[in-house]
Amino acid sequence: MRFAIVIRVLCAAAFAGAMTALAETPLAPEDVQRVLSFGPWPPAPTVDPGNRVSGNPAAIELGRLLFFDARLSPVGYIACVTCHQPDRAWGDGKARAHGLADVDRNTPMLANLRLPRWFGWSGASDSLWMASLRPILDSRELDSTPAHVRHVYVRDPDLACWYRRAFGRTADDPRDNDTTVLVNSGKALAAFQETLVSGRTPFDDYRDALARGDRAAAAKYPDSAARGLGVFIGRGNCVLCHSGPNFSNAEFHSTGIGHFTARGRADGGRFEGIEAVTTNAFNLLSKFNDDASRANATHTRNVVLAPRNWGEFRTPSLRNVAVTAPYMHNGGLATLREVLQHYSELDEERLHADGEKLLRALKFSDAETEDLLAFLNTLTDKHGADRPRPVPLYVDCDATF
Amino acid sequence: MIGQRCAVTATVALLLFAPSLAMACEPMPIGKDAARIDGQNFVLVWRVEPAPLRLGEFFAVLVSACERSAQRVSRLKIDATMPAHNHGMNYLPTISADGSGTFTARGLLLHMPGRWEFAFDVASEAAREQLRVNVDLK
Repeated sequence: MRFAIVIRVLCAAAFAGAMTALAETPLAPEDVQRVLSFGPWPPAPTVDPGNRVSGNPAAIELGRLLFFDARLSPVGYIACVTCHQPDRAWGDGKARAHGLADVDRNTPMLANLRLPRWFGWSGASDSLWMASLRPILDSRELDSTPAHVRHVYVRDPDLACWYRRAFGRTADDPRDNDTTVLVNSGKALAAFQETLVSGRTPFDDYRDALARGDRAAAAKYPDSAARGLGVFIGRGNCVLCHSGPNFSNAEFHSTGIGHFTARGRADGGRFEGIEAVTTNAFNLLSKFNDDASRANATHTRNVVLAPRNWGEFRTPSLRNVAVTAPYMHNGGLATLREVLQHYSELDEERLHADGEKLLRALKFSDAETEDLLAFLNTLTDKHGADRPRPVPLYVDCDATF
Repeated sequence: MIGQRCAVTATVALLLFAPSLAMACEPMPIGKDAARIDGQNFVLVWRVEPAPLRLGEFFAVLVSACERSAQRVSRLKIDATMPAHNHGMNYLPTISADGSGTFTARGLLLHMPGRWEFAFDVASEAAREQLRVNVDLK
C-alpha cells in the first residue's frame, strides 16, 4: 500500500515536472515562427536548370562511377572520394584537405547541394557542376586535364556507354572538344551529388510537432535541446546566419578566424572567391550554362565585390554538424565545444574593421554551452557519420541503350 | 555614420520645407499593393515582386516616381542596408527605366532576418533626393 502511494506520488511528480517543463519553455509566437522557418525537411526535390542532366538516372549513374574513379587523375590514385568519404559524412575528418598536395581549407561535406547558390568556402563556384570541375583541374587535388578526362571514356566501354546514355552522343564525338566532355563530366558528377540528401532529425520531428500544434509530440524533444534552441534563436542570434531549412543563409561572413593558412598565405576568402567566379570560363554567364534564359545566373550577374569581403567565408549548414568535425574554413577548431567557445570568447579585434557589426563575445555560461550542444546534436539524422552508400543503377548500360 | 547624417539632414529639410509638400504630383500606378513615400521633391510608389519578401530569395522592386515641379524623373538608384549590422546587400541590382518615371530593379536579395532600410535615390534635372523606408524581414 505504502509502495503504491510512493509510486503514485512519484508519477504525479514526474507528470507535474513534465508540465512544468512545458510551461517553463513556452515559445513566444515569433519564436515559434522562427523554429518553423527551419523546415519542412526534406525539401521537395528540384532539378538544376543550368544542368540539362540534373535528375537524369543515366547521368546520376555516370556521376556515381566517376566520383569513385581514380582514373580521372593522371596519377591514378586520387579520386573525389579520397576527400569526400561516405563513412566520414562525405568529408575526410582532417583539418585541411590533402590530395596530391596540401590544400588550405577544410573539406566541405557533401549533402543537400541543391540548396546553396555558391559552392566552396569562398563561393568560387556558382553551380554544383562548376564546383565539381575545380578539384579535377586543381594541381593540389586531381591535377587532371580535359584531354585526360576525355581519354578515360575511351578506355572504359561502361563509362562510355553511360556518357552516351546521359548526353545522347559519345564522348569522342568530333562535334565536341575536350572541354565540353570535361564540363559534361562535371554535370554528371553534380547530378550524382544532388542525390545526397540528409535525413530527418529529432529537431525536424519537434519542428513539425510545433507546426501541427501537437504538444505531446513536442514534449518528447529534450528540454536541454529546447533551451539550446532558445539560445540559438534568441540571445546567441545564431539564426541571423544559420537560417532556413539548411541552417545556412548561403552567404559569407567574417567570424574572427585567422586569415593566415598553415603555409603562411593570407586567405582572402570571399574576396578571392568573387574574383575567381566572375572571371571563370565555366561560370553561369558562360556558354556552358544550359539555362538559355540565364535566369539562374542572377547571383553571378549581380554579385558585388567589396573590401569587407576579405576574410569572409560561407556559412556552413548545421545539418549533421555534430558528425562533421573539424570545423571552420581552415578546420582549426576540433570540436563543437571549441566552436561555441570561439563565439563565447570572440576576439573582436580580429574582425574586419570595415566589416559588418554582427559578432560580439557571447559569454555563454556552462549551462548554455551544454544546452547548445544538446540542440546541435538533435540536428543529426539516423545515419550519423556513416552515410548510406550510393546505390548502383543495376542496369546493364549496353543492354538497355 | 554618413547614412545616419543624411537621414537626419533629410528629416530637418522636410520640416523646413513642409509647405512645398502642397505641390502635388501623382506617380503612375504600379499595382494596388504598392506603398507610397512622400518626399520633399518627389513622390514614389513601390512594390516588390514576388511578394511578400522572403529571406534569401532574389526579388525585383518596381518603382514609379514623379517630381513635384513636374520635372521628368531621370534616375533612380536603390540600395538596402541593415544599419544595426553595418552591412548592405551582397548584390547590386540592375535597374531599367521605361522613360515615364517607372523603374524596375532586379537582383536584390536580403540575406538576414531583421530590419532593413531601403534607400531610393531619385533624381531629375532639377533635384535629387533620397527617400527611405524600413522593412522588417522575419
